[in-house]
Amino acid sequence: MARILIVEDEIQINDLIMKNLRLVGHECTQLYDGEEAALRAQTEHFDLILLDVMLPGLSGFDVIGELRGTKTPVIFVTAKNALPDRLQGLRLGADDYIVKPFEILELVQRVDTVLRRAGGPRRSFSFDDVTVDFDSRRVSKGGKEVEMTPKEYDLLEALIVNRNLALSREQLIYLVWSHDFDGENRTVDTHVRRLRKKLGLEDRLKTVFKTGYRLEV
Amino acid sequence: MRRRFWQRTYLVTLLLFLVCLYAGLFSLAFYTYGRSVENTENACLAEERYLARSFERDLHDMEEAENGTSPKLLMQSYAQNYEKQRVSLAFFEGDREVFSSFGETPPLPENGTITQIKEEEDRWILISGEIGEGRYRLLYGRYAGDLDREFASLMLTYAAVAAGVSLFLAVFLLLLLKRLSLPLEKLRVTTERIAAGDRTVAAEESGKDEFAALAKSFNQMVEKVSAQMEELADDAERKQALVDNMAHEMRTPLTSIRGFAEYIEKAAVPEEERRDAALRIVSETDRLKRISEKLLDSAFLRENTLQKETVDLAALLADTAARLAPPAKERGVTLRVLPGAGSAEGDATLLSMLLYNLTENAIKACRPGGEVVLSAGENRISVSDNGKGMTKEQLAHVTEPFYRTDKSRSRAEGGAGLGLALCRQIVLSHGAELAFDSEPERGTAVTVVFPQKEAPQ
Repeated sequence: MARILIVEDEIQINDLIMKNLRLVGHECTQLYDGEEAALRAQTEHFDLILLDVMLPGLSGFDVIGELRGTKTPVIFVTAKNALPDRLQGLRLGADDYIVKPFEILELVQRVDTVLRRAGGPRRSFSFDDVTVDFDSRRVSKGGKEVEMTPKEYDLLEALIVNRNLALSREQLIYLVWSHDFDGENRTVDTHVRRLRKKLGLEDRLKTVFKTGYRLEV
Repeated sequence: MRRRFWQRTYLVTLLLFLVCLYAGLFSLAFYTYGRSVENTENACLAEERYLARSFERDLHDMEEAENGTSPKLLMQSYAQNYEKQRVSLAFFEGDREVFSSFGETPPLPENGTITQIKEEEDRWILISGEIGEGRYRLLYGRYAGDLDREFASLMLTYAAVAAGVSLFLAVFLLLLLKRLSLPLEKLRVTTERIAAGDRTVAAEESGKDEFAALAKSFNQMVEKVSAQMEELADDAERKQALVDNMAHEMRTPLTSIRGFAEYIEKAAVPEEERRDAALRIVSETDRLKRISEKLLDSAFLRENTLQKETVDLAALLADTAARLAPPAKERGVTLRVLPGAGSAEGDATLLSMLLYNLTENAIKACRPGGEVVLSAGENRISVSDNGKGMTKEQLAHVTEPFYRTDKSRSRAEGGAGLGLALCRQIVLSHGAELAFDSEPERGTAVTVVFPQKEAPQ
């Protein structure tokens, strides 16, 4: 859905980020040093840059200085949780930061939040005969609009944003019902059942043993 | 506010001086007065003796001549003569007063003794004596009030002089002490500023007195303490950098391990993707293991004493070359041991570790087709390669823990960044020297030179 540039000199971590973002539908470009990243980001268009702070060549802070003209949103990936580093990153114009080690869900969520804020091209999503329009919050199946409660829609959107990744019931409650929810995990099960029925997702929205649910598309 | 040292000195000195001055002056005054009273008394005694003898003679002459002159008239003429000298006389026949020039005749003192009587402001010295085998008695009285007046005026003069001297001393001493204590005060101000954290000030060292010596010692002390504090700060900074690096080095593989484990758990991916993730976890775990092993080696080195023996360096080289032959072959690097013999004093295990690390680094620095050459001499081993070499800047940092000349490449090969730091530690513990000779794109030569063996006893 979005073109993302990953700049991280640790090959394993670069791969890890790439694999997860690819899984939820993003197109990733991987780079391993600061100088090349500054060059590529100025000549090519990216919707988002994930930038490590400690890089060979130019540091992440230097790279973001070079990119001031492009207005591409940047998320720092830093090994340090130290406040000065975080503040410096944000002061230099970063949109957010992720501290290593991070959870996959956190990574996906922050990427989604920053992309949404930047108003990227990600405004609708289709699979099989189902189409979801994020701007109007409408869902249609086979060309016909499907009636949905707000929570059902929110659940569907959370599953789409984190597609191909298993989400636990607790994570879904956090994402959909937010903090003011004090119900039980069964509420999630009920909503999932209704989504499956309304959109015919029995083969797509899978129950993952001991974890939760996963939308596989 | 507490009094300063010089102020206390001033008060005590002044007080002591005043006590001595006044005590001295007044003792002197009293002594002088005593002496002058005594002198006057002696003079009076002499005068009375003379007067009595003279009167006795005149009385005798008068009685022989029988010219009708009475003793009273005689006495009167004497009294008139002495009046100017403020001497009064009285004449008694038996107990009967015949003549008296006293205003009021005082009671007769005992024969030949000196008495002083004091009436109001007036003092008299009285002496009585017998005349004419005890028939008559003479009372001699001398006015001594002037002695007291003299004494009083003397005291007044002394007091005035003492007051003047005291005032002068008080002022002069104040100025003197203030001036003398000036260096001390300056030192105090300097101390306060240094205590407040200002390291730029120093005590004034001018002069040759104890204050100058004190200022000098003080400056030396400050310098030493500052230097020591800086050293401590540097040390703490180095340790902090090491801890930061270590945290980073451990966090990176941990991030991968955690991430790929989560990936396996959550992601809907084909079987080979999951296997790939599992393999990555294994390799990152190995990397963590290597870091912890190197750290343990380093800790072991710090905590243990060396077990020195004579090590055959040629055998050590051959052994290392054999152990590293497989990885060298895998990279297409030739490993060559030059013929040569030599030995050195050292811990065999540690020296083996040292050579292994140096050789491994050399192999990693080489491109396929490169060559690593090991050579040994007396108290010397050397490892050289024709690999990518290092710049001066890189050489300066190369033995720091977690330093890598080529970060991404070294990590990809699984280096922990601790190898050369460990080598340096081993070399230092042997009192040996580690020398690098390197040029970018030409290669690196590392030489370890051991100290001369001690002569066998």
